[in-house]
Amino acid sequence: MDDFLHTFFDPDEILGVLPALLTEGLRNTLLIAVLAIVSGVVGGVVLAMLLLSRHRLVRLPARLYVDVFRGLPAIVTVSLVGVGLPAAGLRPFGREPLGYAVLAIALISAAYSAEIFRSGIQAVPSGQLHAARSLGMPYLTAMRVVVVPQGIRNVLPALAGQFIIDVKESALVYLLGLGFGQRELYFIAQERQAATYNSSALVAAGLCYLLVTIPLTYAVNWLDKRMRDGRPAAVPAKAVV
Amino acid sequence: MTTTVAAPPAVSVRGLHKQYGPLEVLRSVDLDVAAGETVCVIGRSGSGKSTLLKCLNLLEPPTSGEIRIGGTQITGMAVDAVRARVGMVFQHFNLFPHMSVVKNVTVALRHVRRLGKGEAEAAAMTQLQRFGLAGLAQQRPDRLSGGQQQRVAIARALAMEPEVMLFDEATSALDPELVKDVLDVMRTLAASGMTMLAVTHEIAFAREVADRVVFMDEGRIAEAGPARSTLDDPKTARLRDFLARVL
Repeated sequence: MDDFLHTFFDPDEILGVLPALLTEGLRNTLLIAVLAIVSGVVGGVVLAMLLLSRHRLVRLPARLYVDVFRGLPAIVTVSLVGVGLPAAGLRPFGREPLGYAVLAIALISAAYSAEIFRSGIQAVPSGQLHAARSLGMPYLTAMRVVVVPQGIRNVLPALAGQFIIDVKESALVYLLGLGFGQRELYFIAQERQAATYNSSALVAAGLCYLLVTIPLTYAVNWLDKRMRDGRPAAVPAKAVV
Repeated sequence: MTTTVAAPPAVSVRGLHKQYGPLEVLRSVDLDVAAGETVCVIGRSGSGKSTLLKCLNLLEPPTSGEIRIGGTQITGMAVDAVRARVGMVFQHFNLFPHMSVVKNVTVALRHVRRLGKGEAEAAAMTQLQRFGLAGLAQQRPDRLSGGQQQRVAIARALAMEPEVMLFDEATSALDPELVKDVLDVMRTLAASGMTMLAVTHEIAFAREVADRVVFMDEGRIAEAGPARSTLDDPKTARLRDFLARVL
């Protein structure tokens, strides 16, 4: 039992690694995750619109993209983007591995989000689009103003799951090799574990991940509830017929 | 209603066909609606009356035939330009649930007519006030009764200042005690000189408010004429049979 506690919960190990985790690690993890989540959502909405197009030539490339990036293991995509692109002479982010990690995770996230958004948008009754179009709104305006906002509301809980996956996949950047100052939570903890054969640093990193992912779930659920109830009305609701 | 001889009909339909694959929903429909006239379209479900209405704002593209709104041929025209001139009210209201009542009315004014926020809200409040809905402006649609929702939908369409209003079974989804609310609004609107084409199951309303009724059967206009005489004294066996079933 002592061995167990020592391996996973050694206070000296945890306190020793915590400053690096909280300053450098958490910052870089959040940086990768937030950028990937935002680009993933934007890319996902655009892809979802393409997936819903009436034109096969628009639908097919989007379909192919989604199938490929949902079908590949994340570790393969991260390696292809982070190692492959620079090796092929394509270096949009120079020697900055975090940039490649953001790109790779955003590509994957967009594919998953696209399917989430597509199902949400399809769940919006067709009468909504008809009503908007019959008021003279062009298709894209009607989608942007009327249909997509309702579709997103439909899928917020599912989207929270995707955000959590994005946070966790940020750890895959360790594959690309990180310099001092670029290290994120997992990289720092894993370095420490390799040096000491003690896993307490990983437990500390794990707690840091939970510090992000669990509030994230609650934040999205809160947003979901708020949108479902509608903003508090300025005038108290009257039960008038 | 009287019309000036020179003015073209508000709505003019010639030889309208609509086909879904092998299914012929409209077979050569001819119809004129004069400016300021109220025409009620009646008939069994599946007779093509809703499709006729949807063709008039190109929500359903006609297979062939000619449609003129205020004298302008609309088939082949940019659909959004047509729809801004033709208001439509749906059976299920189709209010936008994520917007307040007033935003439901202003959204098209802002995004289609490009009005500023203040101007759009003033126009919206004018319409809402007209139907006794001003107090509900900040509410979400799901807080409203069906009758209120449908009145908001009518206000939303009217705010665009359409030349013609189309009603697609506007009272069919309402509880019986709320039907009157909406019919009253339609009655006011008809009296104000709005050109209206209403698909309805409310035969009593058609008899009282419409200038003319059009009875559709199997994709054709089977009988049409002044509302009262046509409904009181139908000429065709089909209309007699239909009225016997619904009255």
